Amino acid sequence: MLKNKKLTIWLDVVALFAWGLLLIKYWLTNELNLLIHPNYFWLVRITGIILLILSMIKTLEIIKQAKKTPPLDQAIIEHLTLFPPGWSSGLLIFTALIGLIISPQVLTSQTALQRGVTDTLPLTRSQPQSFRLNNKPEERSLIEWIRTLNAYPEPDAYTGQKAKIQGFVIHLPQLPENYLLISRFVLTCCAVDAYPVGIPVKLSTSNQSYPPDTWLEIEGEMATESLNVDRNTLTETTSGKRQLILVAKKIKEIETPKDPYNY
Amino acid sequence: MNQFLSALTLFFSLLVEAMPFLLLGVLLSSSLLLFIDEGQLITKLPKNPILGAFVGSFAGFLFPVCECGNVPVARRLLMQGVPTSVAVSFLLAAPTINPIVIWSTFVAFRDQPEIVFFRVIFSLGIATFLGCVFAVQKDLTPLLQPVLAQRIKWLLKTRTAQAQNSLKDHKNISPLLKSGTFLLGNQGQPIQMENLEANLIGKKSFNQKFKVFLDNLTQELRELGGILIFGSAIAAIIQVFVPREVILSLGQDNITSVIAMMILAGIVSICSTVDSFFALSFASTFTTGSLLAFLVFGPMIDIKAIGLMLSIFKPKMLIYLFALAAQLTFILTLGYGYIF
Repeated sequence: MLKNKKLTIWLDVVALFAWGLLLIKYWLTNELNLLIHPNYFWLVRITGIILLILSMIKTLEIIKQAKKTPPLDQAIIEHLTLFPPGWSSGLLIFTALIGLIISPQVLTSQTALQRGVTDTLPLTRSQPQSFRLNNKPEERSLIEWIRTLNAYPEPDAYTGQKAKIQGFVIHLPQLPENYLLISRFVLTCCAVDAYPVGIPVKLSTSNQSYPPDTWLEIEGEMATESLNVDRNTLTETTSGKRQLILVAKKIKEIETPKDPYNY
Repeated sequence: MNQFLSALTLFFSLLVEAMPFLLLGVLLSSSLLLFIDEGQLITKLPKNPILGAFVGSFAGFLFPVCECGNVPVARRLLMQGVPTSVAVSFLLAAPTINPIVIWSTFVAFRDQPEIVFFRVIFSLGIATFLGCVFAVQKDLTPLLQPVLAQRIKWLLKTRTAQAQNSLKDHKNISPLLKSGTFLLGNQGQPIQMENLEANLIGKKSFNQKFKVFLDNLTQELRELGGILIFGSAIAAIIQVFVPREVILSLGQDNITSVIAMMILAGIVSICSTVDSFFALSFASTFTTGSLLAFLVFGPMIDIKAIGLMLSIFKPKMLIYLFALAAQLTFILTLGYGYIF
């Protein structure tokens, strides 16, 4: 019994340490970019540091305690436990280990398809205060295009403008062979609420040469076209919906960026 | 495999987001254990049920805990003999009416301050109302778990005996003449049983206090961290393996969307400190009324909290609580949907 108690105390320490380590690892490897919005990075960093400090204090205390006689009465700090003793810490340690071994993934086109790709930013999303329109169209990023389109949603106004945008490939089954969707995820808080935005790209060849999730830099010219697809619900529409498309002129494959999400 | 990896990413994303808030909540609740004397707090509480329920609802500001943390606190309050109306309304309101949750809701819904406002108003209303309802039942013991009920009965008995004693003699009488259970203290001084906890907390050296603080911190962190992992796992699995269309088709109109979000709130069981971020991911597809339903109902009743609440109440009481809270949330948020 006493041995069991000692074991659970040590499990606590290990759990604290493992989680501190995991958060610090996410921070140092920049994998936080894949998980949450940069606004909350500082929270995670502080938490990681506090957890590590806690585990150290706890260790010191246990060592001190081992030299002394009976431990303090546990009555006042007695808790309602949902799990048998040791289980919670075990679960915490197990989860932290998984996190340390398996790196987080960049969200894929599959997730995007599941969530529905839009060319609008829903009104409820927090709009950045510092939004400044880049005057040269070819210098706008994909997200800036979407924001511009949001502010003035008349696709015809943009025809003929040059564009150079980066994003990953989504194949929409409803689009013809020579189209693909160039898109990016936008984060408001964490990867859970990431939502994809995208613009259809018209290729001169079949889209088979650019498999889904490939990162591309596409140069071309904006145009409007009626496509028989509603990208909000990913369903086919009978009447074509006029929308902005990018006619690709030059396509370059690029590496997945370090911070693949926009904010 | 790909699906699994993205589920894992979402899982960790939720956890990394929630951890700082959890740590903050646990730090606060642990330090309150040290700095606030519960015994004194009780003597200052109003006896009037409506007033009591109102005070209980606002007690979240003193004990800022999410729904995982409020159960132990509510239990401790009941044990100390706090009026029922205060304890019940505290149990329901504290997860929402506290600075951390209000702040995180505000961060998530910066563009819709009305969500923050109505979340607070609705939770306050429901909690106060339920507090009053259960205050009508003079003797709550049949609805409590037997162990807790016994302890309260004993407490009430000693309290009344004490009151009678002090009526007879206002002067300080020797503790030996008081009724109750006594222990022999350090200097041969008798200590009354019900003051024991207060003594243990109040009269400790800094080192001992710090030790209690630290122990409570790790215990809560471990316990709630484990629950958090479960909640996040379920949430991540739903996100990845249930296509949005399924959830979307659940909530097409005003009424069904409210019901859908309430079911979701009950199942997902995310801590109230982070649930507004989760709700945000539905902001584009659901009505404001149904988001409110999620934010109001989730902190009161969810799968994870039911497990914890069973340590206080008998199942019968939980069903009453659940049914009343669900109906009130439904009516209020639906009303919001029609008016605005």
